[in-house]
Amino acid sequence: MTTATKSRVQPRRHSQLYRSENRWALLFVAAPVMGFLLFTAYPLCFALYASLTNWNGLGRMKFIGVSNYIGLLGNANFHKALLNTLFYMIGIPIGLILSLLLAMAMNRKIRGRTILRTVYYIPVISSLAAIAILWQWAYNGDFGLVNQALDLIGIQGPNWLQSTTWAKPGIIIMAVWKGLGYSMLLYLAAIQSVPKSLYEAATLDGASGSRQFTAITIPMVQPVTFFLIVTNIIGGAQIFTEINIMTPTGGPELSTASAVWLIWREAFRYQKMGSATAMAIVLGLIVMIVTLIQFRLNRNSSFVLD
Amino acid sequence: MQKKQAAAIIVALGLTAGGLAGCADQTAGGDSSTTGADTLTYMFRGSEDEKAAYQAAIDQFTADTGVTVDVIVTDADQYATKLQAAIAGNQVPDVFYVEQGSLQSYVNSGVLMDITDKVEELDVDLSNIWQYGVDSYRYDGTLQGTPDGRLYGLPKDVGPFAMGYNKTMLEAAGIPLPDQDKPYTWDEWTSVMKQLTKDTDSDGAIDQWGTGLNVSWNIQGLAWSNGADWTNADKTEVTVDTPEMAQALQYIADMTNIDKVTPSSSEAATLDTYQRWMAGDIGFFPIGPWDVSTYNKLDFDYDLMPFPAGSTGKPATWIGSLGIGVSQTTGNPDAAVKLAAYLSSDADCMKQLVAAGIQIPSLLDQAETYAADTAAKPANKQEFLDIVEDYGRAMPAAYTYSPAWYDEFFTNIQPVLDGTQTAADYLKEVQPRMQDLLDQANADAKEAAGGQ
Repeated sequence: MTTATKSRVQPRRHSQLYRSENRWALLFVAAPVMGFLLFTAYPLCFALYASLTNWNGLGRMKFIGVSNYIGLLGNANFHKALLNTLFYMIGIPIGLILSLLLAMAMNRKIRGRTILRTVYYIPVISSLAAIAILWQWAYNGDFGLVNQALDLIGIQGPNWLQSTTWAKPGIIIMAVWKGLGYSMLLYLAAIQSVPKSLYEAATLDGASGSRQFTAITIPMVQPVTFFLIVTNIIGGAQIFTEINIMTPTGGPELSTASAVWLIWREAFRYQKMGSATAMAIVLGLIVMIVTLIQFRLNRNSSFVLD
Repeated sequence: MQKKQAAAIIVALGLTAGGLAGCADQTAGGDSSTTGADTLTYMFRGSEDEKAAYQAAIDQFTADTGVTVDVIVTDADQYATKLQAAIAGNQVPDVFYVEQGSLQSYVNSGVLMDITDKVEELDVDLSNIWQYGVDSYRYDGTLQGTPDGRLYGLPKDVGPFAMGYNKTMLEAAGIPLPDQDKPYTWDEWTSVMKQLTKDTDSDGAIDQWGTGLNVSWNIQGLAWSNGADWTNADKTEVTVDTPEMAQALQYIADMTNIDKVTPSSSEAATLDTYQRWMAGDIGFFPIGPWDVSTYNKLDFDYDLMPFPAGSTGKPATWIGSLGIGVSQTTGNPDAAVKLAAYLSSDADCMKQLVAAGIQIPSLLDQAETYAADTAAKPANKQEFLDIVEDYGRAMPAAYTYSPAWYDEFFTNIQPVLDGTQTAADYLKEVQPRMQDLLDQANADAKEAAGGQ
C-alpha cells in the first residue's frame, strides 16, 4: 500500500475500530443495566404498586391507595416485630467487640492459631438451617447443652426458646456465634495491614499497649468496622431463617417474630400480599434511612492519615 | 456520545421488554409445567408412612391407566409456601392437596378447576363418601361447605380428632376403662387424671400424668361441648367473650396450674407431651387416624373414647380434612380428575391407604367393615366414625377467607395457660382484635368473589 492510500484509509479504519469497540462497550454496559432493570427496578416498581393494592398474591389486584400503610400504623404485631428486629441488633456491637478481641489474639504467635482460626470460621461456612436446628436442641430447657453447661457452674438456665424474656437473647447469642468468624477474619486482615512503623514510633514515645490499641489499632481498622456495621445492620434487618426454624410460630406471644418473619406470614399464610408488601417497603425505607445516617456519621468521623 | 448513551438505554430497555414479553407469553400460554399427554404432576405432603402409602397407590394408578405421575412431596409445614411459589411461578401441579381454608381464594384466583361435571362423567358415587368431606370442597361463590355449591376438590380423607387413653396405664392403676358411649364429665375426667398423676418410681419427681393438652388443638372440642363457639353461624361475629368459652379455656389452664394433672409448662416445653405420651407417661391424649400407624408400634395398648363433655353433656371435637384439587390450567384435565377421583374414592386404593394406618376409609361402604375389625388397634375404631357422623365439626377457620382472625386467639394466650391472667379477662381483651381481622377477611372474600 502506498502512503497516500494509507493516509486516506487511516481515519476510516480508526472510526470503524472506534465504532466496533463502542458496540462492544454498549453490550457490556447493557448486561448489568438490563440485570438492574429486570431484577431490581422492575420488582421494586411492582412492589411499590402492589403495596397500594388489596391482593392475595394470585388473583386480581385492586388499587386501594395508601390503606395498607394506614393499616400498619395500628398494627400492634408489626410494631412488635419491628422492635424485635431492633432488639436483635444488640448482637452487632457485641459481635464486633468480640471479633476484634479475637482478631487481636489470633494476630499473636500462639500455638495452634491456624486451627483456632479454622474453628472460628467453621460456623460461617455451615448451613444456617442446620445450625439453627442444632441450637434449638442446645437450648432445650432440660436436656440442652447450654443449660447443662450452666448447671456445671451452678446456674439453673431458663427454658430459652419458650420464654418471652430469654428467647430473643438466645437467638442473639446464636447469631453472634455464627457471625464471629467472618468479622474476625476481616479484622485480622485489617490489623495486619496497619504499618508496623506506627507502633514502633508509639513505643519510642513511650505509649502503653492499651494506648496503642485505642490510638492506633482502633482508628486504623475503622473502615472495616464501618463496613461491618453497615452490612450487619442490613443483614440483621432481614433475619428470618433462624427465627422460622427455632420458633416456627414466632415464639411465645410473637416475642421472637422478626419483621421479615411477620411479612412472610402475612403473605403466605394469610395470603395478604398487598399489606405484606407494604410492610416490606416500610422495612426497606427504615434500613435505607439508617444506612444513610451511617454514611453521614462516617464522613464526619473518618480518620485521615496525613 | 449522548446519542450512544441513549442507544445503550434503548437496547437495554428493548431486551428487558423482550424478557418481560417472554414472561407474559408464558402466562397467556397457560400451564408451563412439563405435562405431556399422559404425564401428570401430583403435589402433596405427609409423614414418611403417608408418602409410602400414596406412592404405592400412585404406582397402581399408573399401572391401571398408563398415565405417568411425577410426584412432588413436601414436609407438612413447607407445603403451603411451596404450593404458592409454584402457583406464582406459573408451575401449578396438575393435581394437588388443597386445604379447606385456602379453597376460596384458589377458586377466586382461577387456580382450581370446577370438577363437578367431570366427576359426574366418571360415575364417582359421591353419596358413598362422607358428606362432610365432599361438602368441604363445595363453594357457591359466597359460602363454602354447602351441599349446593360447585365441586372444586375431592376429600383426600376426613380426619376425626378423637380422645384416646393408655389402656395399659389405666388397667395398672385399677381404674375402670372409659365408657365407649357415655362421655366423662369434666369433673369425672379430672378426678381420674388426679389418680393417674403420680411418682411411680419414688424418686420424688412426678413421672406419670393424666394428660397434656396443646391448647391449639384441644380447646375446640371442650369449648363446643360447653356450648361455646368462635363465631356466629354465618361467620360474621366473633363470639369468644362468653362465660362458656371462658370455662373451657380456664379448664385447660387449671389442669396445669390448679389440678396439676399435666406436666408443667416448662416440662412440656422441653419434652413435648406427644413424646411423653409415646413413652407411656401420659394417660389421656388425643389421637387422629394419621397417628394410628405410629401408635400401633408403641409398647402399650391404647384405645379411643368419646371426648369428655362440658355443660351440654354431648361430646364435641373437630374433623380435619384435606382435599385433592385439579389445576385450572392442566394440560390433561381428564386424566387429572381421574387421578383425584382415584385417590379419593377408588375402592382398592382406599383399602390400601386404610391398611397403611394413615386414614379412615372415606367410603361409607368400607367404614363398617373397618370399625368391625376390633382385632386391629385401636379396638374402638367406631369412635372415629361417630365423630364424622355425629359429633365432629369443621375447624373454626376452615371456611373463612383467611385464618388470621383465628390465629389471633392463640397469639397471646400464654399468660392464661401460665395462670397469670384469667381466661375471662383474656377473652374480653382478644375478642375485638379478632373481630377486626374477621371483618377484614370477610371483606376480602367479598372483594375476591366479586372480581371473578
